[in-house]
Amino acid sequence: MAITRRDLAGILAATAALPALAAPQESEETISAENALRANARELDEIPLPMDTEPAFQFKA
Amino acid sequence: MATVGDDVFYAGIAELTKRLRAREFSALELTRAFCDRFERLGPGYNAIALSLRERAIRKARDADDELKRERYRPLQAIPYGVKDLVAATGGPTTWGARPYAGQVFDEDARVVQKIDKAGGILIGKLAMVELAGGGGYRYPSASLTGPGLNPWDRTRWSGGSSSGSGIATALGLVTFALGSETSGSILTPSAFCGITGLRPTYGLVSRRGCMALSWTLDKIGPMCRSAEDCALVLETISGGDSEDRGSAGKGFYYSPQYTPKPQQVTVGYAPADFEEWAEPSTHAGFQSALGVVKGLGFQMKEIELPDFPYGAILSTVLNGEMGAIFEKLIRSGRVDELADKRQVAGMKASLELPASEYLKAMRVRARVQEAIRHLFLDVDVLLAPSRLGPAPKVSEPLDRAREGPPPKSRGLNGIIPAGNLAGLPAISLPCGFADQMPIGLSFIGRPWYETQLIAMGSAFQSQTDWHRRRPPA
Repeated sequence: MAITRRDLAGILAATAALPALAAPQESEETISAENALRANARELDEIPLPMDTEPAFQFKA
Repeated sequence: MATVGDDVFYAGIAELTKRLRAREFSALELTRAFCDRFERLGPGYNAIALSLRERAIRKARDADDELKRERYRPLQAIPYGVKDLVAATGGPTTWGARPYAGQVFDEDARVVQKIDKAGGILIGKLAMVELAGGGGYRYPSASLTGPGLNPWDRTRWSGGSSSGSGIATALGLVTFALGSETSGSILTPSAFCGITGLRPTYGLVSRRGCMALSWTLDKIGPMCRSAEDCALVLETISGGDSEDRGSAGKGFYYSPQYTPKPQQVTVGYAPADFEEWAEPSTHAGFQSALGVVKGLGFQMKEIELPDFPYGAILSTVLNGEMGAIFEKLIRSGRVDELADKRQVAGMKASLELPASEYLKAMRVRARVQEAIRHLFLDVDVLLAPSRLGPAPKVSEPLDRAREGPPPKSRGLNGIIPAGNLAGLPAISLPCGFADQMPIGLSFIGRPWYETQLIAMGSAFQSQTDWHRRRPPA
């Protein structure tokens, strides 16, 4: 059977699209874990931090 | 052959020592009795990771030789257990997680070496939440050995992540146990199981040979039936260690005779913690316990924790460090073998945390530490419920939101993550019952304030008998 260039391009385009179609949806747990990270980041963003505030280098008060 | 009665399983270290030295029973008889009980009762509560009977019997024979020659050690022949993230020879150290089920170490952790030297007899490894809960678990069943079942009611959870340590101590399977805390893992099972647990100041106890979850937060501490026993165990396991970079190079010697009189000690507390944040079923128990503390003569002062998002800070620090520690496990895909799907997702997500976010959390942590230092200019000790309610049902998810509107005052809500971010010591004491389950009260101090906390705990226990209550087993 002869395959035209048009047929080949169609097959390639369909194959390239497959992984996107078959990609598993993120589970509820994954979404929840990622949301938790984002929520933490939002809470940290609300704390004013002057430039000279260095990270804790001692781990007790 | 002497018989070992049931009372022995609930005796404190000082009493057992006295009876061993009086030859009421031998070390071997005592060890065999504890090993039998450990193996007979422990599995019914999912408390056990491993029995170390052979190793224990060998040590007991040595102890009897020494006792005959009147060569005495501080914890001689006292049976104990360790959370299964503490390395011990003689079997696997699983970290409570399937991917590490066959992991074997050829050297004991530093804390085990120290207790060995003091004469203690390790009779087994204790169950735990997988990887000490790193990643955030949703159900109590997040463990290689199943959910920790509460000795007071097997339909309820033991608390975690030092679940087996809480159960075994409460049930009299061991005289004391070691647990670890990154954020609440000693205080929570201590409160839920009705025992006395001490979280030491960061750096006081070596973590050499113990699983790391967060280098800047992890602590190892004793879980016992009384404050006095916590002092004896902490004296043994504390001290500097050049092989633990977090070690502060300090030891601990319990010297209550040098603590100030109660009238000279100011205790900071928030009525909202006990009346509004705590679940209604606990109110009567907590009010009664507060009355005992006030009756001891301490100066009471109402305070609030400085306003920070402690949970978010701690989670970010923990995620950053845990992701680095367990990167290989996560990238290999073996993380999927963990029991709790939420925990698997949490561990995977930790690899997405930007370095800038971790550093931001550590910068906020520096501000938290400064604020806590200021707080301790006004008070000497903080007092708060260890947990706001009794142990939940074992089938319930652990992320249920609090019902009803939040109280107007923040009180000391968030003291568990705050105390861990600031490396503060704390002791949880059984202080009553709610829904027929134990509840606990915590004293929290500034760094290196263990003697004061234990002395206050001991004073509280001289006026109450909650720590002597036994579960129905």
